[in-house]
Amino acid sequence: MRTYSPFTRAGMLESVAYRANFFCFLIGEIMSCFIMFFVWKAVFMSTDSETFMGFTMEDMVVYLFITFLTGYLTYSDGTYAIATEIRDGSIAMRMIKPCSFDMCFLFQELGNKIINVLCIFAPLVLGVEAYRWIITGACQFDVVHFLLYVVSLVLAYLISFYFNVSYGFMAFYLKNLWGADILKEVIINFLSGATIPLAFMPKALASVLNFLPFSSLSYTPVMIYMGMYSGAEIALRMTMQVFWLCVMILISKVIWNHAVKRLCSQGG
Amino acid sequence: MKRMLRLHRIFVAQYMKNLMEYKVDFLTGAVSFLLGQVIQIAFLGIIFSQIPNLIGWEFNEILFIYGFSLLPKGIDHLLFDNLWSVGYFIVRKGDFDKYLTRPINSLFYVIAEKFCVDAFGELAIGLILVVYSVIQLKLTITWYMIPLFIVAVVFATLIYTSIKIATAAIAFWTKASGHITHMFYMTNDFSKYPTTIYNKFVRTFITYIIPFAFTAFYPASYFLTGENPLFCIGGTVVASVLLFIVSVWIWNRGIKAYESAGS
Repeated sequence: MRTYSPFTRAGMLESVAYRANFFCFLIGEIMSCFIMFFVWKAVFMSTDSETFMGFTMEDMVVYLFITFLTGYLTYSDGTYAIATEIRDGSIAMRMIKPCSFDMCFLFQELGNKIINVLCIFAPLVLGVEAYRWIITGACQFDVVHFLLYVVSLVLAYLISFYFNVSYGFMAFYLKNLWGADILKEVIINFLSGATIPLAFMPKALASVLNFLPFSSLSYTPVMIYMGMYSGAEIALRMTMQVFWLCVMILISKVIWNHAVKRLCSQGG
Repeated sequence: MKRMLRLHRIFVAQYMKNLMEYKVDFLTGAVSFLLGQVIQIAFLGIIFSQIPNLIGWEFNEILFIYGFSLLPKGIDHLLFDNLWSVGYFIVRKGDFDKYLTRPINSLFYVIAEKFCVDAFGELAIGLILVVYSVIQLKLTITWYMIPLFIVAVVFATLIYTSIKIATAAIAFWTKASGHITHMFYMTNDFSKYPTTIYNKFVRTFITYIIPFAFTAFYPASYFLTGENPLFCIGGTVVASVLLFIVSVWIWNRGIKAYESAGS
């Protein structure tokens, strides 16, 4: 732990240094939530039914903003950071240090995440809960579901981290990852239910996606927050998260051991 | 003007050579973008399978507006993408000196240097959606519609470009402004849907403050309904010309205030 805490500190300082960028980005990104909010409002105005495929208007709002929050907090920059280091050769500098490669990255990013959590987690959750309170006339906040959500969120972040590390290692073979990185974003957003809620997809497709690792990234924590899962289902989903986390760690170790042998540094 | 066009061709040729080095990478990027748009449209399809129309707009009309919005966005992306780099790193790294020491206009040089071929993804999807929805809606096309359509797209593009010029120029004072460009640029997504779905504040904001509503919904609604040509097409022209004048003024002020950064 002592070895890695300086990395966390560096990560925190880094995000504080660029705080103006951070807030501008946040405003730009959260705008799409508000667009979808208005779209859903129009959808519910255009239909006589109180629900849309089983979701009420406030369900949809909670889904939108909590999915945004979950996506923001589980986002991992590993692919880009690792691909850059491989391309410019600075990865060699990391390899001669007496610490584990992925742990360095993890603790550096944790510093970043601590700042993120402080800045946006509380305001967004409070905003969503205030909205629900006003619309339904009663406080909907459920402490148990909230705590389970936090645990599930941490698991989702770790899965995302190891997945991105493995993906970044592909730069050992491909050298340039710009296109592959965009492809990854698009596919993950679709498979994880972040673009289209899995409940809206055809039954067969939804049940397949539910068993892939990607639903663990966003859909599982969000559904837990919304109280859509029963106790048994929560247990099943979180076990699957743990399972996929172990698989991802294993994959990253295997690729690392294989790739390191054929590493050919481009300068640095 | 002729000299500028010739220079532009040379720049584009140089840039294409650069790009060909990473062919596969570039293709993956373009395909991913297409895929992302297809998923978005599928989502709209799912929504419309449950409702007859979206407060009076039917699915094909929404597709037309959505497709229209991608055309100016795509053209701007194709030709003027380098403005992003000014705000993100060119000024901060001190590389902007290069643009000032050549015997051509700095703004033109920045713009001509890069030619973003991946924008063809946006343009293709936009065109397909526009053509498909026009056929589905059985819109009658009169002869003057086509020049009006071209005028609308060209001036709508100018709105995008002007916003990028103005926000990129902030970097001349602050050294970096990419995140500010990003914040303003993201507002364009509001224009993909009818402004009637928004509340009054948002509607006023995207009509009069950052006039992105003129890049898609207003001109598109004229072609769909034939109503309000003066406001819908004329407004696009006026808004974009005003915005362009202001942004070039900011750029020129910025050049005067510019002090080289870095080593």
